[in-house]
Amino acid sequence: MANIPELAIKGLQASVEGKEILKGVDLTVRGGEVHAIMGPNGTGKSTLASSLMGHPKYQITSGSATLDGEDLFAMKVDERARKGLFLAMQYPSEVTGVSNANFLRIAMNSRRGEGNEVPVLKFHKELQSKMKMLSMDASFAERYLNEGFSGGEKKRNEILQMAVLQPRIAILDEIDSGLDIDALKIVAQGVNALRGPEFGVLIITHYQRILDYVKPDYVHVMMQGRIVRSGGQELAEQLEAQGYDWLKEELGIVDETVSAGV
Amino acid sequence: MSIAQVNSEIDHDIQKVFANDSVVLREFRENAQRRYQELPEPYFERSSLENRLYSFTPSEATEHAEWQKAVESLVELNSDNPLLVFVNGRLVFLSGMENLPVGVTIKPMREAAQEADVMKLLGSVVPVDENKWTALQSAFWQNGVYIRVSKNAVMPGVIQVVHLTTEKGRGIFPRNLIVADANSQLSVLDLYAALDDVEEELHVGITEVVAAEGSQISYGVISNFPKKTTSYWVRRAKAARDARVDFTVGELGEGYTIGEFGSLLEGEGSASNGHAVALGTGRAHMDLTAKMVHVAKFSQSDTSARGVMQGRAEGIYRGVTHIQKGASGAVGEQSERLLMLSPKSRADAIPTLLIDENDVKCGHAASVGQISEEQLFYLMSRGISEVEAKRMIVWGFLDPVLAALPVDRVRQAVVQILERKMS
Repeated sequence: MANIPELAIKGLQASVEGKEILKGVDLTVRGGEVHAIMGPNGTGKSTLASSLMGHPKYQITSGSATLDGEDLFAMKVDERARKGLFLAMQYPSEVTGVSNANFLRIAMNSRRGEGNEVPVLKFHKELQSKMKMLSMDASFAERYLNEGFSGGEKKRNEILQMAVLQPRIAILDEIDSGLDIDALKIVAQGVNALRGPEFGVLIITHYQRILDYVKPDYVHVMMQGRIVRSGGQELAEQLEAQGYDWLKEELGIVDETVSAGV
Repeated sequence: MSIAQVNSEIDHDIQKVFANDSVVLREFRENAQRRYQELPEPYFERSSLENRLYSFTPSEATEHAEWQKAVESLVELNSDNPLLVFVNGRLVFLSGMENLPVGVTIKPMREAAQEADVMKLLGSVVPVDENKWTALQSAFWQNGVYIRVSKNAVMPGVIQVVHLTTEKGRGIFPRNLIVADANSQLSVLDLYAALDDVEEELHVGITEVVAAEGSQISYGVISNFPKKTTSYWVRRAKAARDARVDFTVGELGEGYTIGEFGSLLEGEGSASNGHAVALGTGRAHMDLTAKMVHVAKFSQSDTSARGVMQGRAEGIYRGVTHIQKGASGAVGEQSERLLMLSPKSRADAIPTLLIDENDVKCGHAASVGQISEEQLFYLMSRGISEVEAKRMIVWGFLDPVLAALPVDRVRQAVVQILERKMS
């Protein structure tokens, strides 16, 4: 039987520099599911992603999150990753002097644990085949991590890392921003390749466009630091066609950003 | 023992100590000695040598039997590359000289300086009386390497020079002169180290590089002196038309160091690059300057430095790009990046652009900071532990400079020293 992952978020509140951003988020992502969180700027979407991964800037003030029943917030960032959580970042860091390949091999071995390291040759073969799938030039393996990469290359590199590390739950934070349509298709293909009962994904996006290529099972709208509406793909399509105003009107929200919703 | 006491000893000893030198060289030394006595203690913005404790007994060096192990940790003794080993200022080992190409001369400096044409160049790049310390060095220098590659000759491989100090209280004054005639090429790696128990040692070193038209020189220097050492050094090149001089500098010592390297770009189209890496541990004080002086048109320079400070170490890294009037079309770039790994370490990057000409391009980038929280989060978010992630960031930070070191074995030795000091 498949070992189905589950990320369960309950009543999550988080703040940055003393300012409350998340005001109670409830969401469960299971293996085999694609969730999309949509919403305008400044509504707390990226805060949710970073808080779950454990970015030091964000403080969890209330609520819980578990990965396969284990308390996520009791784990350090690297432990969360080793348990199978992955965050494709909106602004991936550049690290000079660390080659992409070397970084990925160390990351992979960290997950596999001591004594179970991947053989170097096997690793490089796998890396090259995944790079090919993402239409990345072979030279990317030896370049310094994200250094001098274009925006699109960085995004593709995030998906490459996901493909190599094979997480159980992945959060993609605006993976589609700044991508042209060809790059978007390639990224979507990378996500779809991982889909299966042992992989769940949470896509954070402004736009419906990526959801044409990675079909979501659930679509959520975030405003004022909480999920205000959930539905299926039709919700995304409606938002794309009509914008957010109708929803704001329905909910009686004037200013959808976090700062207003107190 | 203070410098004043050193001063009085110099009065008595110079003729006796250097009795075997030529008359001309002894006159050179005596002149330097006089200038030393006359000159005031130099002013260093962020350092002072006035109250440093060290002892210094000017005398001919004795051989030390146990140098081999220490040297072998840095270089291979019997490789094809020419190698000179000086222990306490005295030449103890010389190899790889059998098959030098025509036009390549490698000699101990003391031997070479008995000749008039070598004496003409001594002090031609670093003036004897530039300051009190260069004068001291010029008066008391013991030995070093003299290299001359004649017109159009190419020296393959890397000439390696090791200066090892094994005895306390002697003072070491290495002096090198590297001369590349027109269109010649050569590469040198110069290593300085002392045994760990040699504390309160004084090191004052000068390297002069003369690069004639169209010549290409690569000069690498690694220093690793133990704590309480006082070290002052100047490594400078003078580049003629279309000459190119590249520096790689590694300062790994735990002592009190003031050092300056760089080029005088006197010929049109001359160029000089510098890569420097500094690791401060313990209570190290490092005051390093990369100085590029553009005298001629279309001269180019590019220096980059990476420093890592830990423990209570203090690092000051100054990049000076001086474009003089008349050096139109010059291009000068510099960057200095320093990383502080402990709360009690200190680091300062001081970029200085002095531009006296209009039609030039200059750029600088300087940063001082701690390990970036964002980078750490990024690596850890892929499952890498905090300790390992920090290690990767620091090594990655140093990598561009380490990669520029010309000899694999030496790079490995430097990596080992860094590993040991950062563990």
